[in-house]
Amino acid sequence: MRIHFDMRWAAVLVVLLALGLAPRLMQDSPYQMAVITGAFFYAILASSWALLAGIAGQFSFAHMAFVGIGAYTAGLLGQYLSTGPIIGIITGTLLAGLVGLVIGLLCLRLRAAYLALFTIAFSEIFRIVLLTEFDFTGGSNGLQLSKLWQGITATGEYYVMLALLLGTMAIMYWLTGSRFGLFIRSMREDQEAAAAMGVDVVRYKIVVFVVTSLIAGLAGSVFYYQVGIITPNTLELLQMSLVIAMAVIGGMESLAGAALGAFFSRISLELLREVNIFSLHIELGAWRYAAFGVVLMLTLRFWRNGLLQPVLDRLFGKPALQATVAKRKPSPDSEREELA
Amino acid sequence: MNPQPANGSKQALLDVRNVYKSFGGTQALLDVSMRIDEAQLIGLIGPNGAGKTTLTNILDGVYKPNRGQVWLLGERIDGLQPYQIARLGLGRTFQVTRAFRRMTVMENMLVPAMALHPTARRKQVQEKAYSILEFLTIEHLAGEYGRGLSGGQQKLLELGRLLMLDPQVIILDEPFAGVHPKLQETIYGYISRVRTQGKAVILISHDMESIFTLSERLVVLNFGQVIADGQPAHVKEDAGVIEAYLGEEED
Repeated sequence: MRIHFDMRWAAVLVVLLALGLAPRLMQDSPYQMAVITGAFFYAILASSWALLAGIAGQFSFAHMAFVGIGAYTAGLLGQYLSTGPIIGIITGTLLAGLVGLVIGLLCLRLRAAYLALFTIAFSEIFRIVLLTEFDFTGGSNGLQLSKLWQGITATGEYYVMLALLLGTMAIMYWLTGSRFGLFIRSMREDQEAAAAMGVDVVRYKIVVFVVTSLIAGLAGSVFYYQVGIITPNTLELLQMSLVIAMAVIGGMESLAGAALGAFFSRISLELLREVNIFSLHIELGAWRYAAFGVVLMLTLRFWRNGLLQPVLDRLFGKPALQATVAKRKPSPDSEREELA
Repeated sequence: MNPQPANGSKQALLDVRNVYKSFGGTQALLDVSMRIDEAQLIGLIGPNGAGKTTLTNILDGVYKPNRGQVWLLGERIDGLQPYQIARLGLGRTFQVTRAFRRMTVMENMLVPAMALHPTARRKQVQEKAYSILEFLTIEHLAGEYGRGLSGGQQKLLELGRLLMLDPQVIILDEPFAGVHPKLQETIYGYISRVRTQGKAVILISHDMESIFTLSERLVVLNFGQVIADGQPAHVKEDAGVIEAYLGEEED
């Protein structure tokens, strides 16, 4: 028990140190910083989607739409009301949560397939509205956003997104370790049985949907302040599929697995743009997505728990198994008294 | 609250009053009434399609009746959600076991207790759960995932979850089906224990020997109607029951 505990925290410490020192190791290269910052962004999205779909069992395709709500709200406020990033981020996040609440109230009584279809429809409608109302939203040209603050460097943006990733992961781990986590997992397993055990299934479905919408909205608004522009392409189903694929490859029932899956997938996709083998130079272009698709299919076929979740389980043990067995075995007499 | 119990006597544990339920043109329940005043073991039997599952689903809130009322411990429950009914004191198991398969046995046990007692400390709940698992002889499986349990062990786990929920009225749907004889003994022990705790048990089973041995009262459904309600010895002699159900079994 102690060994697992120590290993887990030691590993977390090593990872944090490596992430903290990474900009220095990369000599503050703006390109490399931008790639890793993007990987952090996708790690937030994949892990929060894993909370919603992998842990709570609510299969939604609207995650990128909530990113769009966060980013477009921030951008539109800046453009029309000249508000700063802080107001933009707060408003964008809250609006994403509010829309998540409305969708939750409208359709979370529905079962899995209907929720998936509803969220696809919502995302597409939102994207088409953004394209159509080009006078207001910039249409396919996108919407400009200011920088987070004057003079922010790629390294600064790296640390902002890293802090956001760590903060959202901490919140999600706290939630999944609480009774909330117990209830959402029970409703993933069997909604009817969970309700028969006293779990207010609809309420927890709505809460987890709102929480993950807030996280997506927050990540979207912060990240696109860094990118400087948001376009409706962000909301395409392909982008959503990418987030889902990253979570599946990492392990969609594990927050860390999904986050690592997204992190490594994003970096791999970037590295695969151009491949140099000795004197041979290959530009993979869109083919790298095909390779990514093959990895996804192989994962679904042979490693249903993802590629990284089993590794994490092997390295750190299965926390559920260790944490839930009562440490103290009561004496037989006290048990009988308690049960009588 | 129910200020006036239907028959003017003391408050019933469970009171089903003239319940009707139809699905499209099919009448699943037709004027079903059943009152449980004391901690009895009531056998609920009937041929396939008699309405047992529909009645169970109405009692635990999965279905709403078209007409009629259901009262539990003085509260009207026929408009409530399943989780509200569970918290008020009605718990059930399912015909096909529904353990949370990707959660450990201990986590399965924690769910009802944490839902019922939002301020309960996890450690205390775990200790209670462990002692219940010991009683059910599956304490050694506390750290295993539900999917790793045999069918019989999953039945025991469902019973354990019910003890954590601690309801006053318990519905056991086919608790002996597909269970090893040794585990059946544990289930008998379970039933006897919850009865000594003053709980009413509604037992649904196709195992006639068990149901006639265990039940103090039998309610027989056929074509959505109660055709007999009384002591097992009397019900066994009822001509309508023999024709509708027992006769079929003997043929």
